[in-house]
Amino acid sequence: MALLDVGVMFAAVAVAGWLANRLGQSVIPAYILVGMLVGEFVLGRVALPAVGTVYVPETEFIALGAELGIVFLLFFLGLEFNLDRLLGRWRPIGTAGTIDLANFGVGLVLGWLVFDAFLPAFLVAGIVYISSSAVITKSLIDLGWIANDEAEPLLGTLVYEDLFIAVYLAVASALVLGGGDVAAAATDVGIAVGFIVGLLGVVRFGAPLFDRLVATDNREFVALRAVAAVVFVAGAALALGVSEAVAAFFVGMAFSATDRAHAIETILEPVRDLFAAVFFFWIGLVTDPALFADVAVFVALAVVVTTPTKVVTGYLAGRAFDLDVRRSTRVGLGMTTRGEFSLIIATVAVTGAEAGSFDPALAGTINAFAVGYVLVMAVLGTTLMGYSAPFESIATSWLDRGGADGSGAGG
Amino acid sequence: MTVTESDLPGVGKKFEIELGGGEEMIVVIHNTGKREVFRRTDPDADSERAFEFSDDLARTIGSIIEGAYFQPVEPETQETTLPGGVLLEWYELPPGSPLVGETLESADIGNRTGLAVVAIQRGDEVLDSPGAETTLREGDTLIGVGTRENCAAFEAILTE
Repeated sequence: MALLDVGVMFAAVAVAGWLANRLGQSVIPAYILVGMLVGEFVLGRVALPAVGTVYVPETEFIALGAELGIVFLLFFLGLEFNLDRLLGRWRPIGTAGTIDLANFGVGLVLGWLVFDAFLPAFLVAGIVYISSSAVITKSLIDLGWIANDEAEPLLGTLVYEDLFIAVYLAVASALVLGGGDVAAAATDVGIAVGFIVGLLGVVRFGAPLFDRLVATDNREFVALRAVAAVVFVAGAALALGVSEAVAAFFVGMAFSATDRAHAIETILEPVRDLFAAVFFFWIGLVTDPALFADVAVFVALAVVVTTPTKVVTGYLAGRAFDLDVRRSTRVGLGMTTRGEFSLIIATVAVTGAEAGSFDPALAGTINAFAVGYVLVMAVLGTTLMGYSAPFESIATSWLDRGGADGSGAGG
Repeated sequence: MTVTESDLPGVGKKFEIELGGGEEMIVVIHNTGKREVFRRTDPDADSERAFEFSDDLARTIGSIIEGAYFQPVEPETQETTLPGGVLLEWYELPPGSPLVGETLESADIGNRTGLAVVAIQRGDEVLDSPGAETTLREGDTLIGVGTRENCAAFEAILTE
């Protein structure tokens, strides 16, 4: 029946994607919701006439597909990451990205107030900090903003966030898998940082090797070798207790320096989209909506606090790129969307719970929080971008006239 | 004309082309090969999407705009090869050419270059087998016959 489960999964995801597209929304919340719907926590609790209870269980294949989804998402992040571009525009991007880090601090405080412990607060900080590259980029294209000046600060800040999240994930998974103990955690973080440095060395000096690996005109071989490299390294990293996502990021970065980077991107894009959809579906599958009741207040609090903070930091990011008030407001509204990476951070807790180094109840709560938060923020962010005009006129009349006292506005 | 190129991480590349008067054309080339063409009437305005093309269509349209697909302006020189590798070529006398004002005799084209001038087109009329006393004027089109070397030598004295 495992094949049928997978068939049902893809059918459900296909329908959900089509529906979300028709509604002008991002597909990510739709994939999560449909996963929740056909999983054991919703469909599994309903006794259907004639057939009894049927639902899509979390099979090993689906869980593994979700893991591949994470690997490919981060692989593409690395593939599209361009260090020269970041350094070339370092002044505005660095300023915008550093201002954006304020959201991490806000998340840390928020998490501390709710959980009264460092590690959960650290995870919450990551979840509310990282904006969604996938959803924001798609909205930019759909709305035509991609051709406007606001595209640069948005994409630039996302690049900064990507780099930050690569380091963050390494540290977070070391902390979670190391389990509470400070001395053990320090060792694990040391291993993680050592691993990153090692991978950076591979990226820096292994370029000819990666070049030769994909130097063929045969598309099939390019696909096979790139997938082999990323999945093998990611798997090896996980076996060593280091984040597979981070390993995938650096393998992607290594391939980005080769002549075939564009070919790999074109060939593997459908593969990434396929497994990313499985990942979002899986997130829905393992999330018990009943837990939402427990985290509803927390989610609401996070939405109320972190939406305005992102708008403000995004606005300031736009100003750092010398944009006017109207376009800077758009940058702020655009940055509010959270998505895939918040969910990836939540899975770090889930993985820790499965490995026995993290409290399963706490992991369940953090996962439910992340899913609830992303469901709200993905829809809210896309909607804010689509209906930005009133916010733009409010901001313009408010800040342009205010001039001198405009700097402290917002919040 | 200023063309600004910028990277769009995860999307592709963006080219902003100033058209003058503050108007800009923006071309976004997606990694997928899709092209989008936007128009911005002034620097503060939002970009309006004008066209969207697939890769193949964009290349065809590009070659039409470039003039490679259809050439509306008559090129300066045409080349026709006669049997035996002899070329039949025509040249327009550009303003400031040292040949302007010379007669065919004083220009001595035949001896200097080996090219035989067989006809001259002047406005609507054609002077065939022009005599040695014919004075060359700016804008005349000289029709010559000669080898590739003769033609090259003539091109050299045409503008000098």
